Amino acid sequence: MKKTAAWILSGAAALVFLAPLLWMVLASLREESRIFQMSPGGWLGAEGWTLGNYADAWRRAALGRALVNTVAQVAAICGAGLFVNALAAYAFARFEFRGREWLFAGVVMLVILPVEVLAVPMFFTARDLGLTGGYAAAMGGLTVPFMAKAFNIYFLRQHFLSVPVALEEAAVMDGAGAWRQFWNVALPSIKPALATVVVLDLLAHWGDFLWPLMIATREETRTVQISLANLFTQPPVQWGDILACAVLATLPVIVFFRWFQRYIVATDTGTGIK
Amino acid sequence: MTAWQRKRGRAAPWFLLPACALLAVFVVWPLLRAGWWSFTNADLLSPERAEFAGADNYAGLAGDARFQRAFGNTLLFALLVVPVQTVLAFFLALWVNRPEPAWRWLRGVFFVPVVVSMPVLAVLWTLLYQPEQGGETGLLNAALGVFGVPPQAWLRDPALALPAIAFMSVWQGAGLQMMVFLAGLQNVPKELLEAARIDGASGWQRVRHVIVPSMRNTIIFVVTVTTILAFRIFVQPYLMTRGGPGNSTLSLIQSVYETTFVSQDLGRACAAALVFLALVGGLTWLQRRLAREERE
Repeated sequence: MKKTAAWILSGAAALVFLAPLLWMVLASLREESRIFQMSPGGWLGAEGWTLGNYADAWRRAALGRALVNTVAQVAAICGAGLFVNALAAYAFARFEFRGREWLFAGVVMLVILPVEVLAVPMFFTARDLGLTGGYAAAMGGLTVPFMAKAFNIYFLRQHFLSVPVALEEAAVMDGAGAWRQFWNVALPSIKPALATVVVLDLLAHWGDFLWPLMIATREETRTVQISLANLFTQPPVQWGDILACAVLATLPVIVFFRWFQRYIVATDTGTGIK
Repeated sequence: MTAWQRKRGRAAPWFLLPACALLAVFVVWPLLRAGWWSFTNADLLSPERAEFAGADNYAGLAGDARFQRAFGNTLLFALLVVPVQTVLAFFLALWVNRPEPAWRWLRGVFFVPVVVSMPVLAVLWTLLYQPEQGGETGLLNAALGVFGVPPQAWLRDPALALPAIAFMSVWQGAGLQMMVFLAGLQNVPKELLEAARIDGASGWQRVRHVIVPSMRNTIIFVVTVTTILAFRIFVQPYLMTRGGPGNSTLSLIQSVYETTFVSQDLGRACAAALVFLALVGGLTWLQRRLAREERE
């Protein structure tokens, strides 16, 4: 009896969390006139299914280009970002130099800065550096400012510190330089942490909106979220196209997430913050 | 510290330079600039011609009805979202904290909205909240109709728009906080729970007297992070209602954005951004203090 109640409750909760997204996928395959016909019979019949919305959205919002831009943007931030943050994190974790504690404290202070606070002055910095002009420049503007991240440096340093030092010392004995010690020994030993950082950045930047809104104003530099917003706000408003675009903007990130999920560490962020 | 680590110190600048240079150019420098501009009459088109204006911008914010409305809305949004989302995430975590595969699957279900990007969800929920028109309606009105609730014009009613956006935000974020709580739950001492069970404590008593006290730091952390995220609200109202109806969903970030690009009053926009930063900094400081008391 109690078990049945638990199942019913779980099912209801799962439905509440999944129904909006299920509806998104199903409605994106409906003819325009039938999307909001909510009569039970009108919705699951054999009629009114179409792939036309996808073709329409693809053409009207130049989605091919937008998806390529977004993938390139996220890949650049995650890839280059991972590299520069891991480098700095490793120096903070393992090397001894003057001013280390002081510099690291400075980096930690930057962790709480929300991007929204910086967006306006950052826009001028990007403009002064010529990162707002043509296609290449704007792609730079979308990516370069977000590569270095204080939180990632802090997080990766924690993980480097938790790796036993013996492996690296053995490498030093074998005459490995600082670079080989980092690249061949230390980096592979924190793969789960690296994957975690990539996933967090991927989710955050795939959904970037405020910054691209300010900086990627040309048609050819639009990211998929901006294309979606344009379909949504500029007449003629076609619900089917909007839904198809929303599905296409979601699929890649779900696929990436599933793929990376295997490598993630459980980030126990709630404890031990000094 | 060993000899090799000191020797490696010579390589440190090369390891630190890329990240630190980027942080200096794109984080520290803009922050300093915003700080300076907030005390000047800088405008969007020629910020380099800014003249010092003392605390005028900050005083101006105090008398700026639109900014105050945005500030009030953002606070109200946080007040709606934080308690509901924290409590919901906590109970979801307790609910799915079991080893069988079915519960793992359910965990995944609650986490799905976290993975979908906010602009997509804002657009989707606008359609779900679609008011009734000529026999057509959004999914939410249709679902509530089954229980006899009359259809509402969710996003077009000044009294309902902000709560509607808050509901959608709770739905989106609960799964993430649930995961943080799940991690915290693993640290609750098993023997304490066992002892409470043997003493005949009910499930509710175990939650209140064992689980909540031993998860104090996790709870403080989740409340703080959820509050900061709630203050950062921008995308949902911007796309769903453009801050309307009647400014009832105008967010702090949207007012900063509009002060910059519409009123072109850069000085005031930077002052507003720094007020926002002070708020976030204050919250973080409070969380550290509360969490530290626990350890001492």
